[in-house]
Amino acid sequence: MELLQPLLRSLETGSVYALAALGIILVWRTSRVMHFAQGSMGMFSGTAVAFVFDRTGAPLWASVLVGAVVAILLGFAVDFAVIRRLRRATAVGKEIVTLGLIMVFLGLAPIVFGTDPLLLPKAIPTGDLTLGNANLSYNGLLNILLGVVIAAVLFVVLQKTKIGLAIRATASNESTARLMGIPTKTVTLLAWATAGVLGMLAAVMIAPTTTVTPTFMNTVQVTALFACVLGGFQTFYGPVLGAYLIAIASNFLKLSVSSVWGDQILYLLILVFLLVRPNGLVGKTYLKKV
Amino acid sequence: MTDVLQVEHLSISFGGLKALDDLSFTVGDSEIFGLIGPNGAGKTTVFNCITQFYRPDAGAVWFAPGADRLARAGHHGTDKVDLVGVPVHRVIKHGLVRTFQNVEIIPELSLIDNVLIGGHIDFKASMLAQMFRLPSSRREEAALREKARGALAFLSIDHLADEPAGGQPYGVRKRLEMARTLMAEPRLIILDEPAAGLNESETEGLAETIRRVRDEYGCSILLVEHDMGLVMNVCDRICAISFGKFLAEGTPTQIQRDPKVHEAYLGERDDV
Amino acid sequence: MSNASAMAVRVARHPHVRFLVFGAVLMTLPALASSGIMMTSTLSTLGFTLIYAIVAMGLNLLLGYSGLISLGTAGFMGLGAYLAAYVQDDLGLGFWVAVLAALIVPTFIGLLVGVVSLRVRSIYLAIATLTISEILLKTFEQAEWFTRGTAGKQSSYPVVLGIQTDRSSMFFIIVVALVLVMMLTHNIVHGQLGRALHAMRSSEVAAQAMGVNVLTYKLFAFAVATMYAGLAGALYLFFLKSSYPSTWNLFLSLNVVAMVVVGGLRSIYGTVAGAFVIFAVPELILKELPVIGDTPGLPYIFSGVLIVVVIMFFPQGLRGLTDLLRGLVTRRPSAAASEQAPEEVAAR
Repeated sequence: MELLQPLLRSLETGSVYALAALGIILVWRTSRVMHFAQGSMGMFSGTAVAFVFDRTGAPLWASVLVGAVVAILLGFAVDFAVIRRLRRATAVGKEIVTLGLIMVFLGLAPIVFGTDPLLLPKAIPTGDLTLGNANLSYNGLLNILLGVVIAAVLFVVLQKTKIGLAIRATASNESTARLMGIPTKTVTLLAWATAGVLGMLAAVMIAPTTTVTPTFMNTVQVTALFACVLGGFQTFYGPVLGAYLIAIASNFLKLSVSSVWGDQILYLLILVFLLVRPNGLVGKTYLKKV
Repeated sequence: MTDVLQVEHLSISFGGLKALDDLSFTVGDSEIFGLIGPNGAGKTTVFNCITQFYRPDAGAVWFAPGADRLARAGHHGTDKVDLVGVPVHRVIKHGLVRTFQNVEIIPELSLIDNVLIGGHIDFKASMLAQMFRLPSSRREEAALREKARGALAFLSIDHLADEPAGGQPYGVRKRLEMARTLMAEPRLIILDEPAAGLNESETEGLAETIRRVRDEYGCSILLVEHDMGLVMNVCDRICAISFGKFLAEGTPTQIQRDPKVHEAYLGERDDV
Repeated sequence: MSNASAMAVRVARHPHVRFLVFGAVLMTLPALASSGIMMTSTLSTLGFTLIYAIVAMGLNLLLGYSGLISLGTAGFMGLGAYLAAYVQDDLGLGFWVAVLAALIVPTFIGLLVGVVSLRVRSIYLAIATLTISEILLKTFEQAEWFTRGTAGKQSSYPVVLGIQTDRSSMFFIIVVALVLVMMLTHNIVHGQLGRALHAMRSSEVAAQAMGVNVLTYKLFAFAVATMYAGLAGALYLFFLKSSYPSTWNLFLSLNVVAMVVVGGLRSIYGTVAGAFVIFAVPELILKELPVIGDTPGLPYIFSGVLIVVVIMFFPQGLRGLTDLLRGLVTRRPSAAASEQAPEEVAAR
């Protein structure tokens, strides 16, 4: 079996999953909310990109900028108007709210953008790179680079900057961080906005392979959640690692076992893997305080 | 006097920090035993190691509740067992039951329903029998409800049996938690700061209650407490620990005179 | 004489009797439809509402008592529907075997998923069930020998106790099933099973110290939820006489979550009311509204916004509303409203 070609494909889709998963883990670590609506919010701002591109004839980069503004505003709005006011609700209450948000965005998208399916082209329409026997489109290369570079930039920001320190402090212990004078509200606001932009980028990257409909991000959402489960919820890099691993495993399973059931087999394998390593690949075990 | 509980060489560390270091003590039959120490000494950690919420790194927790309770917990032909490694939810079957620092009762349920939770291990009817309210399940429920009423009466709160627990004053909720422990026919009750939040007269009543429980239910009591008045008043023997290490053991008078205990409490003089 | 009347009062106050009365009232609806007072399509909508109430009852046990989310409701319900069709129409084994299969198989699969995911962390159940639901959905599309794929599985009204049913008699059967489910749920939550679930929700640590095996009880709640979903799936199939894969998607599962949240956690009648608000109100009322009635996605926004608003401002759901009204009438603070601070209740 030719290995390089599927590997390159996997890195391309892996980048999409990695960006979505980064959004989920940012929100989880700062707000302690399982962000089930990451895909739907990405779908909404991604649809905004396609809508602007399609209806105004604006260049793609300008449409993406508009989408980023939409994503940031949505992130701010959700955190400010909903999540922040749920401080006293339980974890389950917050999760239910993000489930409710899925439906809100699913219902809003056709109202705002109409029911006609939209199309979004590749950022780089043509051109291939030849690596040995394998081909990689320039667009694919761009997607891989986007995934890797954005993840790398985020890690540098998290590790080296003041705001990164604030985010890590909030992630480690929100109330202590607040007492230390860290503006945790700004931190969560930023986390939600960043998650929104990451979701939008994931949507723009996956859109050319499909039609932009309200459900086109469903697979990304499920896979990103699984990337977090596989990579563990305790680190920022674990889910990114998980995303690429899932993409690679999925491609090889589809090629060698079943083109129809590849993903499903993979999900089951990951669930079984949890029995062996309950906290994921890079998760630490921690003691529950009684 | 036989020992109900023998804690031997208990050690546990959290991320390199030794929370308990080679700690040993024993609690005798029908004894009221106090565990004291300054804040952060590891008292609650001791409790959590005994009740298996934490698994100690080293040491043993020997428990000798008598043949019938050991049989109830599935041990035959032995007179004592090491609790280390027993699943948390099975510990109560051995006749060891605890209360919590922050009174873990269920506010939505009535007092008597709360007490019935203490009798959980006595509900033998299968899940199906309970779902369909088969006669066997109804009889069992009625019998245990009667027993629960008895436990409430023992603590003089049976007149509130059908009231929701959530709206009750703190003193009542504390007594409710105590009543719940009695449902399990305990040989050892572990009380985690039973006097916290009680006023002076309530604390006196508590001392009386602890003695009555010991006398009438024939069990031993192990308590962690900050209220030194209560500890000195009610305990037969006391073990003092500091930074997870054994400090001193003896009668209340001996402990009060022990220079090492005084040293450990320096700066927390209010407590002594 | 007074003894007998006291006895009668006690019987009438027994919750099971109330469920029976509730069921009897519902049984008059087909007559309204056949006499032309109510449209037949309305009867269908109400029948589906009751079916959703059955599913939601199970999820309420899971979510309300154990604080666990299942996103696999649609998948398990669909599995129940296809199994019922397969057993009745392909195997020709009749109504009762069909219902039994719809009860047992989903429960068994659910237990497997629960055992794997619940050992780890409660939230993993949501992710695991989401996946199982996706896998089931894909199976419904692909396994044509079983489901006829996207073309849809056709079925027929069953023969029950030797009688050929029709729309009205299926409605009766749905009501009977709902009343039985309400009774069973009532038994569960008011016995030791329910107390153990309460203890677990209140504090897992304390529940364990009292001898409650937390994993067992989480699995129990999840198994019941799955079983109700399987039953509802079978009833759905027999009432609609067909099943399509696209019915059993994530949004059905989310709608069931909405029914539970809106109706009020841990409330039996509230769950029925929640099913009515989330399913029947968009069907019967919103669609008929001028201007906005035709808006695409309106039912989704309706459910979604209700979920968010209820969790934020009315954690008691509809049950809280009735308690509040009762409190206003009797001038006494209602039990549920006074005992529990909102933050304590919000989907613990």
